[in-house]
Amino acid sequence: MDRRGFLKTAGVLSAGAACAYGLPLLCAGTSSRGAPEGPPGTRKWGMVIDLTRCRPDCTACLEACRKENNVAFFGDARWDVHLIRKVKIRRTYPAVSAEKPMLLLCNQCDRPPCVQACPVKATFQREDGVVLVDQHRCIGCRYCMIACPYNARDFNFKENREWPNKDRPRSSHGVPQSCTFCVHRLDVGQEPACVAACKKVGANVLAVGDLNDPGSDVSRLIATHPVQGLREDLGTRPKVYYIGL
Amino acid sequence: MEASFERVEGKSAQYWLLLGALAALTLPGIFSTYLMEGRGLYLSGMTNRVPWGLQIVLAVFYIGASAGSLVISSLYGVFGKKEYKPFARVAVYLALLFLVAALLSILTDLGRLDNLSSSFSHFNFLSMLSINPFLYNMYILICMVYLWAMLREKEKLVRVMALVAVLWAIAVHSGTGAIFGFVPRELYQSPLLPPSFIAAALSSGTALMILVILGLFRLTGRPLDDQLVVRLGRLLAVFVLVVACLLYIENAYRVYLAASREAGVYLLFGGFQSVVFWGGMVLLGSLVPAVILFTPRTAGQVRWIVVSSALVVFGVLCERYLIVIPGQAHPADLLPNMEITSSVWEEGVAAYSASLPEVLQAIGVVAIIGFLFVLGLRLFRLLPTEARICE
Repeated sequence: MDRRGFLKTAGVLSAGAACAYGLPLLCAGTSSRGAPEGPPGTRKWGMVIDLTRCRPDCTACLEACRKENNVAFFGDARWDVHLIRKVKIRRTYPAVSAEKPMLLLCNQCDRPPCVQACPVKATFQREDGVVLVDQHRCIGCRYCMIACPYNARDFNFKENREWPNKDRPRSSHGVPQSCTFCVHRLDVGQEPACVAACKKVGANVLAVGDLNDPGSDVSRLIATHPVQGLREDLGTRPKVYYIGL
Repeated sequence: MEASFERVEGKSAQYWLLLGALAALTLPGIFSTYLMEGRGLYLSGMTNRVPWGLQIVLAVFYIGASAGSLVISSLYGVFGKKEYKPFARVAVYLALLFLVAALLSILTDLGRLDNLSSSFSHFNFLSMLSINPFLYNMYILICMVYLWAMLREKEKLVRVMALVAVLWAIAVHSGTGAIFGFVPRELYQSPLLPPSFIAAALSSGTALMILVILGLFRLTGRPLDDQLVVRLGRLLAVFVLVVACLLYIENAYRVYLAASREAGVYLLFGGFQSVVFWGGMVLLGSLVPAVILFTPRTAGQVRWIVVSSALVVFGVLCERYLIVIPGQAHPADLLPNMEITSSVWEEGVAAYSASLPEVLQAIGVVAIIGFLFVLGLRLFRLLPTEARICE
């Protein structure tokens, strides 16, 4: 190949590559999403989970969530949907033998990778920071599940036949689902189903409140306890804070 | 000497038999898709841990093959290599069909195909997956215009469209690489993925073109200058090396850094995927073809070039598998320095194997583009009467 040919090839290659991600990069660079605080006076919902109070064999929050949100359950680990997963964890470095309970759910990231990934904006973030899926717009491509570093989204692989809470919709097959902080309850001044259930059994592990209000339960807990979010190093700014992780 | 093109006659019983067989092969796939769309994707082998399966692996492969075919066609259109003109039309038609195959694979994999209209009404310019359908659809249009210009012998338009098409093909493939490379998963996240996707596209596209051209010329009894195949073989040799080099850098980097070492070691020495890596991609897909194509005695023989082309195609398929599946199967390090001892679902390394309906869908997609290809040979003047080097 002569010099001219080489230059031509190089030009073609670099121009093509630049076109491909110019637009997303430009958008990501200028996006205002992920500003630490919203406009003054706005709310930002967050959750605090006090693991030191969580009882190893209690499933009150899981059951309440399943009932409230009509979450699909078939008794088959491949297709069951979990908006909250209760697991047992053990520290391996430095090694500690004691197991302890842990709750995993959508972290309602302030910089949510799933919202960035969704090709049709079916996954979106509300002003108050809650990440939701518009299941009528979703095409079921599952890129949000690929993008979520917390594995917090489950897919409805199978049609759900159970419908315990007739006041709330039931997901069809073919769309993903994750924790919504029960915004339908928050919006009318009620606590999320899991928080209410946890209080009812007297464990008081969970608290949901406004992170922008210094007087809220969650703000006070965060101010008075050492708290930790999951994989904060990823820059997603998770809004679920753990005490005693 | 100017190349002249013609249609295949398509009157023989074999021709119609082939068309019929391909049409029949699409039926199980269509039925599987109908079932999955109606009842849910639980009929696939995918799970919450591995939500992308066989169709995505193949879609990425097809997109690569498409971009690669187009570059072969551009050897004439952009770089003025006259000796490749006989292949230019077949190459563009194939590029078009491979992209159709990719789109079909993606569409049949959607959970809610009935909501597809939202991808035309709502764009998310932040999403790599929103940019790509736009790139793909435009690419199909560009290929159509390019092909039309060639069929009508509009030389000036051919030149312009060839350049546009190559640019667009590169954009398409960088974009596809970014779908995986720009995701915060240990085995995905890599700025090298877009260029390595382009390299793999070039090698698999060239290898497929060699196989298709030889097959077509031999089956229809057209004279073909062996030297042309040998030259394509030389091109393939370079592409194979570039792919291997990029793979080496990517994996070396991953294993070298403490943060990603565990994931890198999982890929290289952790189970089935490691067999695919070393046996499929490195040995059969890169080393053997490289030895064949760089040994002067074998590099000059069509027989050996065919063998190495088939191996390269296999190797790139392995590479596609290695990009899509292990990156999901390997668990995200949710809780550093902790282990999850019990859970309600599969923690740790997840398993994925394609289910029968998925395989039938994949066969159906191949059959559809095979059908269109065979039909196209009869409808359009795609095949040259002969292919020789004249300087």
